[in-house]
Amino acid sequence: MKPKVAFFDFAGCEGDQLQVANLEEELLTLLGQVKVVSFREVMKEHSDNYDIAFIEGSCTRLQDEDRLKQIRKNAKIVVAIGSCATIGGINCIRNYKDLDEVRKTVYGENAKLFDTYAARPIDAVIPVDAYVHGCPIDKDEFLQVVKSLLLGKKPDIPTYPVCVECKKNENVCAFERGQFCVGPVTRAGCNSCCVNEGTVCWGCRGLVDNPNENAQKEVLIKNGLTVDDAIGKFRLYFGWQERKR
Amino acid sequence: MDEIFAETKSDPYYFEKRKSSIIIGVNIQKMSKWCFAPFMGCATIEYGYDLMLTDLGNRYAINIGSEKGEELLEKYAKNVTNALARDIQLVGQKKREIMYMSQQKFDFPPELIPELLSKSYEKSAFWENHSEKCLACGSCVLVCPTCYCFDVKDNPDLSLARGERIRTWDGCLLEDFAKIASGENFRATKPTRYRHRYFKKGKYLYDRFGFISCVGCGRCSSNCLPDIANPVSLFNDMYHQIRDKEMLATAATTPEVKIETEGNIDYVPKLATIVKKVPMTANETLFELRLNDGSELGHKPGQFVEISVFGIGEAPISLSSPPTKKGTFELCVRKVGNVTSKLHTLNVGDEVGVRGPFGTGFDADFLKGKDLLFIAGGLGIAPLRSLFNYVLDNRKDYGNVILLYGCKEPRELLFSSELLALKNRTDVEFKNTVNWCPENEEWAGNIGVITTLIPQVDFDPEKTWTIVCGPPVMYKFVIADLKAKKVPDDHIILSLERRMKCGVGKCGHCQINQIYVCKDGPVFNYSKIKGVPEAL
Amino acid sequence: MKKPNINVEVHHVTRVEGHGNIYVNVKDGIIEKCEWNISEAPRFFEAMVAGRNWNELHHITSRICGICSIGHTLASLRATEAAMGIKISDQDLKLRKIALHAENLQSHILHLGFLVLPDLMGVGSVIPLASSNPEEVKTVLQLHRLANEMSNLLCGRTTHPQRLIPGGFSKIPSLKELKELKKKLQDSVPKLQAVAELFKSVAPKLPDFQRETEFIALTKPDEYALYDGDIASSDTGKAPASEYLAFTNEYIVPISTAKRAKHARESYMVGALARLNINFDRLSPLAKKTAGMFGL
Repeated sequence: MKPKVAFFDFAGCEGDQLQVANLEEELLTLLGQVKVVSFREVMKEHSDNYDIAFIEGSCTRLQDEDRLKQIRKNAKIVVAIGSCATIGGINCIRNYKDLDEVRKTVYGENAKLFDTYAARPIDAVIPVDAYVHGCPIDKDEFLQVVKSLLLGKKPDIPTYPVCVECKKNENVCAFERGQFCVGPVTRAGCNSCCVNEGTVCWGCRGLVDNPNENAQKEVLIKNGLTVDDAIGKFRLYFGWQERKR
Repeated sequence: MDEIFAETKSDPYYFEKRKSSIIIGVNIQKMSKWCFAPFMGCATIEYGYDLMLTDLGNRYAINIGSEKGEELLEKYAKNVTNALARDIQLVGQKKREIMYMSQQKFDFPPELIPELLSKSYEKSAFWENHSEKCLACGSCVLVCPTCYCFDVKDNPDLSLARGERIRTWDGCLLEDFAKIASGENFRATKPTRYRHRYFKKGKYLYDRFGFISCVGCGRCSSNCLPDIANPVSLFNDMYHQIRDKEMLATAATTPEVKIETEGNIDYVPKLATIVKKVPMTANETLFELRLNDGSELGHKPGQFVEISVFGIGEAPISLSSPPTKKGTFELCVRKVGNVTSKLHTLNVGDEVGVRGPFGTGFDADFLKGKDLLFIAGGLGIAPLRSLFNYVLDNRKDYGNVILLYGCKEPRELLFSSELLALKNRTDVEFKNTVNWCPENEEWAGNIGVITTLIPQVDFDPEKTWTIVCGPPVMYKFVIADLKAKKVPDDHIILSLERRMKCGVGKCGHCQINQIYVCKDGPVFNYSKIKGVPEAL
Repeated sequence: MKKPNINVEVHHVTRVEGHGNIYVNVKDGIIEKCEWNISEAPRFFEAMVAGRNWNELHHITSRICGICSIGHTLASLRATEAAMGIKISDQDLKLRKIALHAENLQSHILHLGFLVLPDLMGVGSVIPLASSNPEEVKTVLQLHRLANEMSNLLCGRTTHPQRLIPGGFSKIPSLKELKELKKKLQDSVPKLQAVAELFKSVAPKLPDFQRETEFIALTKPDEYALYDGDIASSDTGKAPASEYLAFTNEYIVPISTAKRAKHARESYMVGALARLNINFDRLSPLAKKTAGMFGL
């Protein structure tokens, strides 16, 4: 009996669901192991009878909590996919601003029509069983998590920072190139893909479990970043995690 | 590296790569400001390479280091002529120049490093200060040419029926390096992990192999973002903090080194079939296995095996049955992490992989004729049973036998019917206890921690050997009570647990100070282990 | 003829990029309600970027959409570069244009193969088509893969492309890699033609719907504009891109968290069809020929 899976999205860009579609031929192999019963972007059918729910996007409105809770009730396993769902993503940038001002900036005098509260990852609303981090997710890591769930084991998500992968990929450290990177406090698992492409780690996979935030901020400042910008770097993706600590 | 991978059991994959590698070196031309190779005796080397080049400006001088190197030159290199006398002299000169290029300077003779370290283990403030900015990023160990710790992972493909087992690099500075499935982390803090790196390279490997395992390349220093990884600054600081420098005047004696190899490591598991499965408690199940090829496991009591559940991974499990039980062997498995949880879902007829047996085991011969006091806490009964049942199978060879067994509550009692049967024997004294008894359970026996049983039995500390196994927290208390009863240190035998991956003392995960639990243990004599700070 | 009664209620339209509901109530031929209701949670990007560093804006803006993030990123980079007076090299300009083509190829194949084809074949998704029309689905997947390879090569990845940075690229493909890509694209033309043939065969199933529409797209005299150019409206003609505000005219309605825009009429269309209608002459000969297959 193949487990039934369903995809849902909240406040996000649908990029993570696209990565699933980007599995291309491997998607067909995957379909040999699971039955997709709901995937709004790709299919018409919908069923409330599913075992595994993949959720993309943050929860940004009180009214969305009910939908999340319903999914939690229907599913045996809930998997958060993508930064918005796993750590709140960039949506949390606005949590540090006055939310009324934020609504006014975008909708002007119609702001009252559009409800929102502090953007949050879905595990702030419902218990989550597994996480696929990243903005967007890495489709191979997605497969890894699915394979683990099918095998009944806890997915092997690294607890060490991106530096490990950069060193394994023999990258020249971003700091040595005069750039500012938050890799040392960001969870690995992406194979340091952004540094590989010549830029820096932006932190999209979230903080490691016990980051030495002060040390990291000191490194940024020592290399020439202003205090405000260092704090800003931490607010890009770590906005929710920082508040919790 | 060759010695490390050859010692005790040789790593065939390493040597395969080694054999098929060609090593061409280039003598240092410009030295980075972090490099201190001259101080580590590594500014230049005279052996270990196939070819060594020295830049002489408009030409390279080539030193041939091996037949392989010579063949390479003959086959591929054009315009190679014999070196002239002045070339050779120039090479000598360049090599001398390298000796003085270092911008890093030790304030003391670096041969004193092992001695310095041995005097600095307990200085927590020192290690805390130096590691305060550590990001646990692993850079220092991952760029180090002499680091070799590795991890092994299973990677199934989408069919879920096939896959690969992969060895990947690991690092002891990473947070979860010494963490086991139950969540216990044996090196949980930054200062302890930070300290371990210096000790492994400057002391433990020195004591075992006679060399400081650092070539002075300076990569760690240059890659450490908070700049806390420079061994030169650290050791200089350590040196200056020693008040009585005369203590260090004489370098530590060079250790006696013997590299013994007893064959290759077999990384490939043998297949075994589950022939019996008996759930004993909510979390523990007893498995009986038979090797598919019909051979005997041939283990000693106290040893362990690495069990593979293919696609999930490998886990170290102690043998619970004595070698006197032929044809099959028993494992008592607690469901904790991925491998053990999956194992619990398997049934009679299913196959698993087995590697081993590994470890030192109990010396059942040495214990003949002695009185034995077994002290088991919780799951600790599982490894002790392999010796205990062996003793029962050879009862007349041993003196008085006492078994004390404590668990948290009545429903966690393991091997209950077997142990209850002990009460009917006159040649064994058996007492057990629970920490507490919940209201809905019945218990007529002792209530209290395991140590409450010790005063209840009579034994002669001079004639008795105690064998202890239990959760990490238990050892301190049990040992204290045994010492109070005047049990000599070397009469106390312990079985310890750590995160054991390769089982043969190579991957580094189970290391406690200079000891590999998988290879030098898991059975230890307290007199030998009491000086090891990370042990208990 | 009897006056029609129609009631349509679609919660969360499927197989579209984005979220919306459709409500239509017609009673006795009179339209009582006709709503395109966007209920997607608002994300407030305009407020998110305010106060951030100039070199982070493209990273944030990219996250507006995962499918067209290359387009969002490039628009943001052009704005940043215009504001800061940063010029990019000719080579980078060309590479960016190729990146946009990669995105279009990916997005359009996704649209055609995954989102529209099921409707024209009478099934709910591409999944059953994998069994009933394996060859066609395989072709679609191969083209989608090629498009992703193309954007991986130029941008690092399709969704949230890392290589696109202010001033150009953080890493560029080698000449060898570009040559190999060109060959792969040229070799894929038969596959593209096969997809065109497939759609020609099911085109009659498309609803016969035509409406007078204002189309707005970028336009350039010498190329099929995707990256830059003037703004052109099929109603009012050309205007420089700097006058974009006169075209966007955003306004808000309560039933939609997404803002709306209008220009010469109640609404206007942008995107592939608008580009085609405005810039048809600048299509390549092969593209014109293929369009001819559909009577365009």
